[in-house]
Amino acid sequence: MSKVGQIFVRANSRHGLWTIPLLVAVFCFAGLAASAADFVSRQNILNLFAQATPLILVSIGQMIVILVKGLDLSVGSVVSLTTGILSLNAPVYVTVPAAMLTAAVVGLLNGVAVTRFRVHPIIATLSITGITQGVAMFVRPSAGGTVAPEIVALVSGQLFGVYMPVIWTIAAILVGWKIVHASRFGLHLFAIGGGETAGTFGIAEQRNTLAAYVLSSCFAATAGIFLAGRIASGDPNIGTQYAVDSITAVALGGTQLAGGIGSLHGTLIGCGLLALIANGMNLLNVSAFIQTVVKGAILLLVIALQPRKNIGL
Amino acid sequence: MTSRSSLFRATLRIPPSCIVFVVLLVTLWVLRPNMMNPAILGTFARQVVPLGIVVLGQLLVISSRSIDLSAGGIILLVNYLISSGLLYSWPLPPIILLCLGVGLAVGLVNGLFVGKRRASAVIVTLAVNIVLIGLVEYLANGKPPGDVPAEFRALYNLRLWTIPAPVLFWVALAGTMSAFLGAFVFGRFVWSIGSNPTSAHFSGVPVERAVVIAHVISGLMSAVAGLVQTSSIAVGSVRFGPELIMNSIAATILGGVVFGRPAEVWGPFVGVLCFALLFVVMTTMGVQEPGKLIVQGLIILLAAIFYGLRSKSN
Repeated sequence: MSKVGQIFVRANSRHGLWTIPLLVAVFCFAGLAASAADFVSRQNILNLFAQATPLILVSIGQMIVILVKGLDLSVGSVVSLTTGILSLNAPVYVTVPAAMLTAAVVGLLNGVAVTRFRVHPIIATLSITGITQGVAMFVRPSAGGTVAPEIVALVSGQLFGVYMPVIWTIAAILVGWKIVHASRFGLHLFAIGGGETAGTFGIAEQRNTLAAYVLSSCFAATAGIFLAGRIASGDPNIGTQYAVDSITAVALGGTQLAGGIGSLHGTLIGCGLLALIANGMNLLNVSAFIQTVVKGAILLLVIALQPRKNIGL
Repeated sequence: MTSRSSLFRATLRIPPSCIVFVVLLVTLWVLRPNMMNPAILGTFARQVVPLGIVVLGQLLVISSRSIDLSAGGIILLVNYLISSGLLYSWPLPPIILLCLGVGLAVGLVNGLFVGKRRASAVIVTLAVNIVLIGLVEYLANGKPPGDVPAEFRALYNLRLWTIPAPVLFWVALAGTMSAFLGAFVFGRFVWSIGSNPTSAHFSGVPVERAVVIAHVISGLMSAVAGLVQTSSIAVGSVRFGPELIMNSIAATILGGVVFGRPAEVWGPFVGVLCFALLFVVMTTMGVQEPGKLIVQGLIILLAAIFYGLRSKSN
């Protein structure tokens, strides 16, 4: 088989099957560009970037956790809580560190519950979702408040003529690449997810898993900062969709939910594909409710195409 | 030393729900003695009947190492079917049969994805839930649908010896489930899958089929819960909180059923009663919505940690 052919069918490589989602994304892009006149406009492409950036941030964190056979359902509530903290009446140099620290504590709780107390990741992160969501609603009972102008500028302005969402996306990709594909920690993530024997080869499974959960929460908090800057206020329910969306994006990008197989570029393709589908349906005036149905159906389809060894969770 | 450790083990064997229930009962007795009245407590118990019925299915699914997060969507769909006015000309029995059929169908879809395709149960049932909620919201166009037929209301408000009819129905259903699990081999299948799926498979247990059936029963229970939930409200509603799903998992775990533990009906049953009492206690103490979410999350986490510690010590 030719080299190109091999790349396209490399289903069981460590990076997962990301080439087919890429083809689908290119196909979607071409189809939208041909059918909707407004699609390739400068404004729409910018909107696309701004819509995809928070999802990319959350999904990178989600992927890190999925690589170690975990799942983080609490990312949505962390996003909400972050916007709540940022919309409190305090200067930026207080709110931003406070938000990141809170997120780190949430991640630490997830990680400790999963590693030390052997709670199943889904149960652990689900219960922590409840707690975090409660705190978010306590901090900001309903949408409102004002976010410091510095954060708003950090999201909506330009830097050297480049729009800020683009810069955020590039920064997220660089940081994510360093963590997942260019560090010892990243290699260990793949090893832990890959099998039972990582511990025997001297990899600190518990500590690295803990770090994965903390990173996931911190990425979610960064997404929260971006969103707070975009809507310039806090909202206790803004993050609700991100748990499912990030899992969908990660799975779409060829990352195996059983752990050990996945890639940053796959996740980016998954996020891009989701954003394209949402944008396309908006341009075609599809009802928002039908859009949720389509998203759920995509998730079901992708999951059904990822066969695993064990039945159940 | 040995007697102490065996006492410790015996304490661990009691479902945490029983301990929590006693604690809550004493708290309520101290705080509001006048609330300890069968009629009042019955009314509070009536509010958790839908949750209790969902838990009857959830415990089967959780015990076979799966999970069902689609109850909210099924209840919403049942609610929509009854209250949208589409079926006003129909008599009662076919409406009920149709709703149960919907529950069965959704449970079957869940079960086939989880059991046959071996997809992750959380993701599948989460996705099915999203699809159902989106579908109902699209059909209802974001507005609450119409009224619920009067027969449903009448049934819901019926009382026998001051005990509300829904509570009696729930107890009867739990008793049936308990007898079913005890009398049929399916109950043993669920037990054995819960303790070790691999050895269950090699002992000749049809693991796939048992998981599918557990999901089908869970879907059916959600539909029954939807019928009760619909009867409880005068008008149909498109709002149905995800807290039901969280509470159903919490009550199940609190009742002593976790992944790898046998299915048992009465522990989770008391777990649901705990939630009824918890709502009363929190309401009388003036705890708001955020506080309730935090307490529910803490309960799941603590119960799960309790079992995690125990499995480690064994």
